[in-house]
Amino acid sequence: MHRTEDVLATLSMIRQHKLDVRTVTMGIDLAPCASPDVAVLCDRIRARLIHYAGRLRAVCREVEARYGIPIVNRRIAVSPIGRIAAGQKAEGLLAVARTLDAVAAEVEVDLVGGFTALVQKGWTDSERRLIAALPEVLSTTKRVCSSVNVGTTAAGINMDAVAALGHVLKETAELTRDHDGFGCAKLVIFGNAPNDNPFMAGAFHGAGETDCVINIGVSGPGVVKAAVEDLVAHAPTRPTLGDIAEEIKSTAFRVTRVGELIGREVAARLGVAFGIVDLSLAPTPQIGDSVGEILQAMGVSRLGGPGSTAALALLNDAVKKGGSFASSSVGGLSGAFVAVSEDAALARAVEVGDLTLAKLEAMTAVCSVGLDMIAVPGDTDAETLSALIADEVAIGVINHKTTAVRVIPVPGKKAGERAVFGGLFGEMDILAIHAAGGSAEFVRHGGRIPAPLSSLRN
Amino acid sequence: MISVTAADRVGIVYSVTGALLDLGGNVLELSQTVMRGYFTIILEVDFPAPKTRDQIVEAIHERGKRFELQVQVTEIKPGPAEPQTPAGERFILTVLGDDSPGIVHSIAGSLAAHGANIVDLHARVDGTRFSLVMEALIPHDLTPAAIRSELERYGRAHKLEAFVQHENIFAATTEPSPVRLSAALRSQGDSLASH
Repeated sequence: MHRTEDVLATLSMIRQHKLDVRTVTMGIDLAPCASPDVAVLCDRIRARLIHYAGRLRAVCREVEARYGIPIVNRRIAVSPIGRIAAGQKAEGLLAVARTLDAVAAEVEVDLVGGFTALVQKGWTDSERRLIAALPEVLSTTKRVCSSVNVGTTAAGINMDAVAALGHVLKETAELTRDHDGFGCAKLVIFGNAPNDNPFMAGAFHGAGETDCVINIGVSGPGVVKAAVEDLVAHAPTRPTLGDIAEEIKSTAFRVTRVGELIGREVAARLGVAFGIVDLSLAPTPQIGDSVGEILQAMGVSRLGGPGSTAALALLNDAVKKGGSFASSSVGGLSGAFVAVSEDAALARAVEVGDLTLAKLEAMTAVCSVGLDMIAVPGDTDAETLSALIADEVAIGVINHKTTAVRVIPVPGKKAGERAVFGGLFGEMDILAIHAAGGSAEFVRHGGRIPAPLSSLRN
Repeated sequence: MISVTAADRVGIVYSVTGALLDLGGNVLELSQTVMRGYFTIILEVDFPAPKTRDQIVEAIHERGKRFELQVQVTEIKPGPAEPQTPAGERFILTVLGDDSPGIVHSIAGSLAAHGANIVDLHARVDGTRFSLVMEALIPHDLTPAAIRSELERYGRAHKLEAFVQHENIFAATTEPSPVRLSAALRSQGDSLASH
């Protein structure tokens, strides 16, 4: 017999604290689809996606009903299109994007990731064309997500690609002006991109993966917040930060196990491989589903004030430790996201002026992802955006971790005005970029920032 | 099968098992709980030399005089090794909400009508708040959704929430052992791994 208290505690995590499986992401290798003939290429992609993902929705529904755990999103991540569509011109790349978009709708997944180029050391002509095509792809498709890996610890940072992406962001924002530049929310620029990340917009099916794999993204900021609040309120003496870390670890264990169970079951029912479970505390705009609120529960009442970075470091590390104990198949990003517009508490901290871009950058040195879902003034020049990307990627490259940038220059709006993206993407006041406009010469040098030394690490 | 109940006090298990040991009995299985201050124990005991029901009751009463024990003894007749209950997968049913008479009876009736066998059950009322956690074997040809929709219909009429979840979700979140899938799915995974 399971203990009644254990049953009720698990049920409470689901009912009251919004524990869910944020995404079941099916990774599909598209290498067998390659063809110089774009019609053949698109037909093969369509057939392969339907072959693997045709039953994904039905199976997710079955598993959801069996365990009573909500599966919020179903997604597909494909091999980087920069390689699969090598040799295609702009029209061919657009045709591939539209094929992905159409099939995603057909198999009822909400997003498809992998319109991707991995250009950390250099870029092929095809990858250059893919990056150039991004504004049109992101503004004319609904479900297609893109990522570009511009740096790794082993290769350094491709500053030519970084420079190009500043212009891509500007153009994409302009083409989606009616929606506050929302097209940029579907583009993630990475340093040290993981091959098996199930979270969008940065998911792709990386090198070294099998034909088809199920990766799981579990979330649960509300569960962790409730655990910390409960500990602080009911511990017989004031809990130390070590006690709080232990509480987060044990909660992360439970959440990760839910992800592994769901992932293994979905994979087994579909007859494909199970890949990884990624426990990342991914906020939603709902109150009680916020990473910022966890930091507040730990005692940092002004998010962005001193102590924010240390609290986030503790949280991120405890989440990873709990996840690692729970499963041998932990991968992806596995940590805490500070996606500002998607997190009600962080967005509020921006509104009241406590949370600045500089502080966010510092916080990203100790947590997952990076500058994520951040609205900046629409008149920010392309080179400043590129320099912002370079700064964030440099943090990841030097520190042997993933960092990423998902910024939205909101056309026609200035710092302090409201940017509204809607749904899970949320809204926020536009953040000012301090000392903008002075980095153009640095960016225009181009070339590559060399790979960092891996010894003498102090 | 011996069941003993009494107001809970320290030393009852010691007393009861001592009496059985004096009679040469060997405990094969035992389940004991204290509910709202009342002690209950059920034991399956094997006696190499035959004992009458009265002998057993008398021995337990005699040794546990100060506990005012209520004892019941049922002889297990030789027959089928296992009770004939339907097979199925083990699900946890949880019902939470306002208390009212007849909740357990109604839910048990629904399960019986579907051929689902209750194998463990705990329910309690705190103030006016009712909670029930039950393990039931749901037949393989019945989906959890069918049970759930019936419980939900009952719950709507009685201000109760009902949940039906496979037991593996609770094992996964509370036990450090590897995540379990059902046997059928495991074999599917194994065959996949071998290709």
